[in-house]
Amino acid sequence: MFSRRSLLAGATALGGASLLPAIAHAKGSVASAIYPGTWEEAYRAIVAPALKKKDAVDLELQPLFAVDQIAKARAARGAPPFDTFVLDPGPRITGIEGGLFDKFDGKKITNASKLPAGTIDDWGIAVSAQVVGIAYNPKKVPAPKGWKDLFTDPWVSKLGLTGFQTTFGTVSLIEIAKIFGGSETNIEPALVELKKVLPKVAAVGQPAAMPSLFQQGQCDVMYTNTQTVATLKGRGVDIEFVKPETGAITFFTTLHIAKGSAEVANAYKYFDVALSKDVQEALTKPPYNLVPVNKDVPLPADLPMKNLDEMATYVQHDWAKINPLRASWIEKFNKEMAK
Amino acid sequence: MTKAAEWQLALPLALCFVSLFLAPLLLLIGVSFFDDDKITQPGFGQWVKFFGDPFSYKVIVDTLLLGVKTVCATVLLGYPLALVYLDAPPRLQKVLIFIIVMPLLLSVVVRTFAWIVMLGRDGVINQLLLSLGIISEPLRLLQTELGLVISLTQIEMPLMLLPLISVMSRLDPNLRDASAALGASRWRTLFTVIVPLSMPGLVAGCLLVFASSTTAFISQTVIGGVRLIYLPLLIWQQSLVVFNWPFAAVASIALLVSVLTVVSALSWLGRRSSGHLQG
Repeated sequence: MFSRRSLLAGATALGGASLLPAIAHAKGSVASAIYPGTWEEAYRAIVAPALKKKDAVDLELQPLFAVDQIAKARAARGAPPFDTFVLDPGPRITGIEGGLFDKFDGKKITNASKLPAGTIDDWGIAVSAQVVGIAYNPKKVPAPKGWKDLFTDPWVSKLGLTGFQTTFGTVSLIEIAKIFGGSETNIEPALVELKKVLPKVAAVGQPAAMPSLFQQGQCDVMYTNTQTVATLKGRGVDIEFVKPETGAITFFTTLHIAKGSAEVANAYKYFDVALSKDVQEALTKPPYNLVPVNKDVPLPADLPMKNLDEMATYVQHDWAKINPLRASWIEKFNKEMAK
Repeated sequence: MTKAAEWQLALPLALCFVSLFLAPLLLLIGVSFFDDDKITQPGFGQWVKFFGDPFSYKVIVDTLLLGVKTVCATVLLGYPLALVYLDAPPRLQKVLIFIIVMPLLLSVVVRTFAWIVMLGRDGVINQLLLSLGIISEPLRLLQTELGLVISLTQIEMPLMLLPLISVMSRLDPNLRDASAALGASRWRTLFTVIVPLSMPGLVAGCLLVFASSTTAFISQTVIGGVRLIYLPLLIWQQSLVVFNWPFAAVASIALLVSVLTVVSALSWLGRRSSGHLQG
């Protein structure tokens, strides 16, 4: 039987143990949300050791998708569960509107001058770019030229689709809508055309399942980003990236400091290290294949652009306009696509 | 130990239950009575929106039907397996129980993605059927309800078999012998002796499989795709993609109530059948 004394001792030890992370925190660390999977692996392997070496700051990574970060921060109401966010444009706007970010001062980042114009604002800084286009299996289908090809044979019966849940899905569907007479705020034509070919389409899946579906041959054409293509290629999958004739789509993944964070100084140090030439270059290498934003970093050969400035000519979208419409688009997509 | 001390021992769990389950549930119900996604305007707007839309009913019915189909498949395949277990020598029983429990030892994500490899266009099943000349074109199994029910049947099977086996192994073997001695055929013994006596285990299994398969978000979305829309997908979209928590709360309550209704009906049936046996 436990005596009262041993129980108390046990409870004290347990209580003490729970304080340990707080002590570690005090020594110099920053709790950072990061996308699960490749990003998490890359940041654990490259950014965390670099930050430790340069500034003696521990990078505590919390793997969370963009939407989960926003949901957690909103639920926490002023006591952020982590110090920094990593986000795509849609959730970024939600974060700004929800007052989840601390004001950002680009002057505190020594690598800021290495970034393309327009990648730093009052709320955060770009850390990686994404380039979205069409991926296809060269052994199964010829290369499609653009979005319109996806709706004709031989591609349509091999097509894998995703909806508006993700940034890459949303922007791809917008580009499809534009081809059929729609616009950034009118995706109706895309849904009309999709509905026509729906019985032929190979898969309509969850974004996270798409690489597996492609790898298993369930679909041989899909819209995705260059990073997914490079990663699948690294695993020996027959996959190539095509820049659609109307242009590839680009958007930035951005870093933000959580409002109420106690580790603001360390967050800036973390951002600066993540943006430094050596770290950015290491992140472009397989198996990580992230697209850099530091202009000093040589671009990997399989990217469709020769330099980062070229991305200014790529298709970009205004998420302040898209976000308010997205809920209704998701609802429409559900209803139109449901079996 | 006195009655009071026993009661006190249950207190930590009761406190956990109240703080970690009951309080969030009340919060969920509270959140559903707000009209806007910022949770500032109280009202019934989200309830009206959800229950005013025929699509919501379709999703509820599809979700419950998925549960029913999975339960039927696990009973049809699981019950004979439980009978085999019952008659097997102890050594084989150990092997069987290991095989039955094994799916539980794997992460649901791994099990689900393994089914993509099995059911895909170039997957194991299609390759086998093609090589045997049974089909000339790959069958569409992934992203169909059939494929989803097949995979859920495997994924949920331990939940059916474990209660079933635990009840069946307590059956008195003499009853079967008595039934045979009185001239009943094996089938008659099965349906008039074994099945009624195993009913509590069967009902418990059905209950678990039903509740688990109707809420199996990962399997439903990864194997079923997004054209098969069930309540968990709807809740996920509303809470984590569009951040409309009040609407997600209404959908969650709809899921909770509809699944609970079926589960209560099943458990009432179970009590009735066991009462019938004892009476």
